[in-house]
Amino acid sequence: MAERHARIVIRRLTKTFREDGREVAAVQDVDVDVRDQEFVALVGPSGCGKSTILNMIGGLVTPSAGTVTVDGVPVDGRVPANVGYVFQKDTVFPWRTVARNIALGLEYRGVTGAEQARRVRDAVALAGLTGFEDAFPATLSGGMRQRVALMRTLVVEPEILLMDEPFGALDTHTKLTLHAELLALWEARHQTVVFVTHDLSEAITLADRVIVMTRRPGHVKLVHEVKLPRPRDVIALRETDAYALEYGRLWHVLGEEFAERA
Amino acid sequence: MSAADRRPVLLWRLAILAALLVAWEWLTGIKAISRTPGLYWLDPFFISRPSAIVARFAYLASGQARLTIWQMALSTVQSTLWGFLVGVSTGFVAGLVLGRRRRLARVFEPYIVAFNSLPRIALVPLITMIFGFGVVAKIVLAWTIVFFIVFFNTFQGARSVDADLIHSARFLGASERQIMRTVVVPSALAWTFASLTPSISFALIGVVVGEFLGGESGGGLGYLIIQSLGTLNAADMMVALISLGVIGIVMAVGIRQVERRLLRWRPEYRA
Repeated sequence: MAERHARIVIRRLTKTFREDGREVAAVQDVDVDVRDQEFVALVGPSGCGKSTILNMIGGLVTPSAGTVTVDGVPVDGRVPANVGYVFQKDTVFPWRTVARNIALGLEYRGVTGAEQARRVRDAVALAGLTGFEDAFPATLSGGMRQRVALMRTLVVEPEILLMDEPFGALDTHTKLTLHAELLALWEARHQTVVFVTHDLSEAITLADRVIVMTRRPGHVKLVHEVKLPRPRDVIALRETDAYALEYGRLWHVLGEEFAERA
Repeated sequence: MSAADRRPVLLWRLAILAALLVAWEWLTGIKAISRTPGLYWLDPFFISRPSAIVARFAYLASGQARLTIWQMALSTVQSTLWGFLVGVSTGFVAGLVLGRRRRLARVFEPYIVAFNSLPRIALVPLITMIFGFGVVAKIVLAWTIVFFIVFFNTFQGARSVDADLIHSARFLGASERQIMRTVVVPSALAWTFASLTPSISFALIGVVVGEFLGGESGGGLGYLIIQSLGTLNAADMMVALISLGVIGIVMAVGIRQVERRLLRWRPEYRA
């Protein structure tokens, strides 16, 4: 991939929390650049602050020190424009049907009537949710709900996508299906993605670059370029030697973090 | 439950009702000691008898009575619905506002707790003094009860709105107003709806207590009860009580239907 300009620039980012009256560093001096159209995965043991970093990019958490800029604009406790966020937790609105959930972002932007209906219909079809437009989330499986959450985010066409373990609660099979779907959607639009996960195979399957974090206080341990060709077949990929090589290399590094913890 | 399972249950219910009515009629008709006046197995003076109640009901339902049972029931129902509507709407707005404004909630908290711990019945004379004998006093009394039920529920609901739902709305481009309309209000409403069934029952209680004191100008079934106490007329009292029971059930079922419709997105309300 040709070198592209950085869209997310993180410099000496630090976050400390107060815990039992003393300061505990969750994230320490993190420097990361995320380039335009790049798919970056952030992996690390739980509690390493990877979600906190994502929340600081998204303006949900204010840094204790250091800066985050998105498209040159410092993120300052506000949600940056043009950024979509998919949560690990189920954030589909339970009182809205599938179609009305997907329509939310359009509704907020004043896109109504036929235009809204068309875009929602397209998104529903793209997510394979045709026939479930009028279903309430409670009647859907976890995988379907996460599809709704993903399409709800994508329907307003954000250029930057922050994803916090979006498939963390799903079973392996559903996870793989959603990996394939996410990659297909990404191939079509090439959003800039920051994807947080603790699942190394997920990170390798999806990302251009994998950033391995140390355990708390989290800082960058390794930045690794994943040299697997695209488009990737999420199933076949796992049988290739190239995948095994990438996995082995990263697992060794990540394993050190798990080992130290134990 | 299937229709086949439902039938025996229904039959048993009807059988029990019939047995009770027969026992009531029979035991209030036989003397405990023969020919001694007043000594019944069950004294109809206190609890009347089904035949007497039906007769009184027929009289009160006919045009002969000065105040028919229909007029009284209508008065009670109307006041209850008004008290309910005013209580629910004001309680909802207050709960929503205080639920989202932490500072304001902390300022008002002691007043709300103090007023709510006051037994509402104790307010009846004061409310009567202010609003006079009549319909308004009954509605105000129902309102003071319903308001707090709905207020506390909505307040809790508005407070416990999932922060991640608000965040996701913000990422989708929602303004503060839009967040209020599409996230806070719907989540709080789920809590508000849950308070509607108790609210209608308590509105009815408030109205009947108000009618005890409200006199004829307030009318209603509560007035019939107090009047029957004055004339020691157990049959009329039973007519009023049974009517109130029917009204209470019909209103509770009606509200539950509304609730089911409004909360149809919840798994527990799915058919």
